[in-house]
Amino acid sequence: MTEFPVLTYERLTIGEEFVSDTHLVTPEDIEAYAYAVEDDHPWYSGPSPFGGPVAHPTLMANQALHLRHGKYVVHAGLHAKMHFEFLEPVRPGMRVRSRGRVIDKYVRRGRQYMVTEYVTEDEHGTVLVRGQFTQMLIPEGTRHGDR
Amino acid sequence: MAIADRIAVGQELPPLVKEPSQRRIDVYSGVRPRSIHTDPAWARAKGFRTTLAQGMMSTAYASEMMTRFLGAGFLKGGTLSMTFLAPVYAGDRLTVHGRVQSVEPDGPASRVTVALWVLNQHGQKTAAGTATGRGQVLHSDIVGM
Repeated sequence: MTEFPVLTYERLTIGEEFVSDTHLVTPEDIEAYAYAVEDDHPWYSGPSPFGGPVAHPTLMANQALHLRHGKYVVHAGLHAKMHFEFLEPVRPGMRVRSRGRVIDKYVRRGRQYMVTEYVTEDEHGTVLVRGQFTQMLIPEGTRHGDR
Repeated sequence: MAIADRIAVGQELPPLVKEPSQRRIDVYSGVRPRSIHTDPAWARAKGFRTTLAQGMMSTAYASEMMTRFLGAGFLKGGTLSMTFLAPVYAGDRLTVHGRVQSVEPDGPASRVTVALWVLNQHGQKTAAGTATGRGQVLHSDIVGM
């Protein structure tokens, strides 16, 4: 059994890369997401301008956000910033994965941050979503309210 | 589904009201122990009064607003940038606001930029940012141009 190291600011290196598992997008994924975010737009379950159902554009965002969980035990963190470019709709039946790379880390006002750029692509390598996110690390043994 | 056929700088988009209950957060984030989103004891241990909705849920709300406004022009070719300013707790009541900030030529149509912000039930801003998409109107048809 693989033991992942705990993610720490010191251990994290700029340039390191992550890749997710491949996920088959199902209508049930879209239905569950629609419930979670209270958005049952008819294009997500029926005809759309793209010729059939599409997914919420942010459906696979957590696949990207959790990339670091594939290499590290993540103690706790907060999402600080998010940027998306929606290039092609995600559709049910696609097999999608996300790839990311750490492009920066910094400390501001005593808090530690990491910045990751990523793409989510289909099984043919077509990029569906491109983006960048900033996550705050909450080090082990500390509380967010301690600072 | 209404798609904007008239776009004016300064135009306010219809607000969206969202109530991220613990059940909805559980479905969004997946229930896991030692998660500030789904484990109340862990959230308190990390310094929060209870569990938090993921910031990413607010990006979903913003993208709903943009999809209702611009339709396919947001789903293919849209962008969304948000900064998360304050925690959103399970049971909070959020209102998502949007206002057209600019409209610029983009090929035969227009690139519409919308300022977005999210307020909780106390009037505190929990997230803010901008989104863009292609408007399905000719640039010359934009109100006020």
